[in-house]
Amino acid sequence: MIEICGVTKAFGNKKAVDHLDLHVRAGELFGFLGPNGAGKTTTIKMVCGLLKPTSGTVTIGGHVAGTREARQLLAYVPDQPYLYEKLTGREFLRFVVEMYGLETKRASKRIDELIDTFEMRDYIDDLCESYSHGMKQRVVFASALVHDPKVLIVDEPLVGLDPRSARIVKDLFIAQARSGVAVLMSTHLLAIAEELADTIGIIDKGTMLVRGTVAELRDRAQMQGPLEGLFLKLTGGDRPISGVGMVGEGPAGSNGHASTIQVGEGESAR
Amino acid sequence: MSTIPLPPSSTTTAGQTARAFRGLRLRLAHNVIQGVLSGSRLRLSMVVICTTIFWAGLFFLFFGGFQFLEMYGALSGDFVEYIFSLFFLSLLVMLFFSTGIILYSGLFQRKEAAFLMTMPAAADRVFAYKFFESIAISSWAFILLGSPLMAAYGISVAVHWSFYVVFLAFLFAFVLIPGSVGAVAAVLVARFFPRRQKTVLAMLGGLVILGAISLVSQLLRTPGDTFSSDWLDSLLGRISFCQNALLPSRWMSKGLVETAKGNWPQGMFYLAVIAGHAGVLYLLAAVVARDLYRTAYSRVQGERTTKRRVGGYGLDNLFHKVFGFLARPIRLLILKDLRTFRRDPAQWSQFLIFFGLLALYFVSIRRIGYDTQKPYWRNLISFLNIGVTALILSTFTSRFIFPLMSLEGRNFWVLGLLPLSRSSILWGKFVFSTGISLVSTEVLIVLGDLMLRMPPTMILLHMGMVLILCLGLSGISVGLGARLPNLKEDDPSRIAAGFGGTLNLLVSLVFIFLIVSSLALPCHLYFLGQDEFGSGSFTLNESQFHFWLGVAIAGSLVVGAVGTLLPLRIGIKAFRRMEF
Repeated sequence: MIEICGVTKAFGNKKAVDHLDLHVRAGELFGFLGPNGAGKTTTIKMVCGLLKPTSGTVTIGGHVAGTREARQLLAYVPDQPYLYEKLTGREFLRFVVEMYGLETKRASKRIDELIDTFEMRDYIDDLCESYSHGMKQRVVFASALVHDPKVLIVDEPLVGLDPRSARIVKDLFIAQARSGVAVLMSTHLLAIAEELADTIGIIDKGTMLVRGTVAELRDRAQMQGPLEGLFLKLTGGDRPISGVGMVGEGPAGSNGHASTIQVGEGESAR
Repeated sequence: MSTIPLPPSSTTTAGQTARAFRGLRLRLAHNVIQGVLSGSRLRLSMVVICTTIFWAGLFFLFFGGFQFLEMYGALSGDFVEYIFSLFFLSLLVMLFFSTGIILYSGLFQRKEAAFLMTMPAAADRVFAYKFFESIAISSWAFILLGSPLMAAYGISVAVHWSFYVVFLAFLFAFVLIPGSVGAVAAVLVARFFPRRQKTVLAMLGGLVILGAISLVSQLLRTPGDTFSSDWLDSLLGRISFCQNALLPSRWMSKGLVETAKGNWPQGMFYLAVIAGHAGVLYLLAAVVARDLYRTAYSRVQGERTTKRRVGGYGLDNLFHKVFGFLARPIRLLILKDLRTFRRDPAQWSQFLIFFGLLALYFVSIRRIGYDTQKPYWRNLISFLNIGVTALILSTFTSRFIFPLMSLEGRNFWVLGLLPLSRSSILWGKFVFSTGISLVSTEVLIVLGDLMLRMPPTMILLHMGMVLILCLGLSGISVGLGARLPNLKEDDPSRIAAGFGGTLNLLVSLVFIFLIVSSLALPCHLYFLGQDEFGSGSFTLNESQFHFWLGVAIAGSLVVGAVGTLLPLRIGIKAFRRMEF
């Protein structure tokens, strides 16, 4: 459904994405992992058609990314979503369904369903300017799903959500994937990727380092335990942190921060 | 590669997206109006009253001007055409820049653009939506300025009521011309100079300013006695370029004058010319946006680079040494604001342009020959110089100082966790604003006075006035900025354009009027007496002058102290109570 073939995106002399190949099938929930500045958001923006690749191709359902056909199939939830502050949540959802040309009766029914799913009935008719971050996120998720997209792109989906909202969103991702939607989810939270993703890809410096199911990744790295160790090992995050002590080296090590680093590499830091 | 066909029921037609945007615009307008009407009545009344006063003031000014021109009999029609042509030409240039800049921000920099770009709307449809929004934002001041002009003109030549309806049609078609050209420029700059937009803007702005300076200097050197026939002839000759038949401003002025005369066929001809050009230019802008907007957006987003800032800390150390008498936390706050100021070209460039132009004018005073005028005129010019400098300073404090507290409020957790009292934060802003204002305005005023060959006592008086003005304008902006913050907005220009910013500007204007007029009046009456002694008009002799000047100085000191301390006190009180 999402086909990224040999894509490079350069900003001046710097390559944010370098010869990236990535395929996400219909019904697959793909967890896109990588450290800050690895090229995740750039890749996602190219899939959404907001950035044009320097070379290579990105297609959505066979349509070149950015074309009207591709956008019709796609829903995008950015890390910092946009809402019209002077619209109510319901008016915002109506605007989105009108943009997608949905038939009025069907659209109203779908909006009502989503209001219930995201438990927004108490505030949906208030102006968005009065919403908290979590309320806004729920409206944005509802707006992404209101037109039944075939591809769902989500950048850092759980930022600012309370546990219940986070549970709703996680269940929803799984339900969307099981109903045949291709979900590309970028996240920093490794536990979320482990919990939800069918397939995980780890990107660093614009290059895909590894890709597979959690089990495949563990087999490949010949290690057990949480994904964090593998992630840190691959992305170089396991190197010692200057000024932070390790287990047994004083107070810093005793709070458990540094011990996590030790697990990945299996060697003590200086 | 298999392609997923789109079900016919879920494909959006151009008509549907157009309807969706129309609905969005109407809904937003409805909610905003409802919010304003259900909000503070005091705020609404103030806006209505101030707008009415401003409109009425302009109307009477223009009406008086048209009546004055009628003294010239048959020639007055020609003058009106010249004035209209020059007025609309200025608006043409201003609307080109303002629409272009607002549209650039709307299409390429705001988060809304990214949201709309992922929707199934065509690029030219998104462009059309943002274009008309930008036109509305950039043209409201034009309507506020243009409507009293046309009302005054209409009444002075007794036009039929239908003239005002036609004027609206002229107005709508006219604003589309510079707006469309500005839109084409915005998209082309984004497409071809994604990292150089500020350079292109500065170059274009520089060209316009150079043109304006050259024109003003030519007009100031018009030979002959002021308002004599020769002088007027010569003056019109110098601005005859605005009567060029290819300029839309000329079509506008000619069309309106002919319509006012009742020459409808000719008036409608010019309306058709303007509307035709507006349509073609809008079409051109839409085609450019259709073909280039998405690529341009990608380039603007992709070409952003981080700017590394290293060094300049020697200046910081120097600052600490020079201002060692201030508490260290206040010095640190001032340094932070100074760093922000020098790293934001929007701030220092506007500051530099306005004060640079003033400096240029002050340096030219001797070339114009003001220094050889009688003491009465030199005194009048020196006070006008102070008035203009203070007015420009008030726009600076309203635009850049007033929003500081709103912006600080958004990041208050940074300052809130420091060992600082809240009042120190305000005092820091006040010292920062006063410092920058004092350095620039005192230099200008002393320069102007030296050029005018003013006596040392008058220079000292003017320096004291400027000190009071700087303290007061800074106190008003910092105090009201803390009392009426807008914590939801992160764009300083929008904060300044809101209710608080407008009120701040109005209070500043009243303060300037009180200070300048109270000190200017005794000086004016004294120098009037020096020049026209025994003419019977109300004048002051030497001893009366000293007495009334003393009263004026004492009065302005009181007004200055109240104008500085009261807003600061109100601001500090509100800032202490504020919850973030």
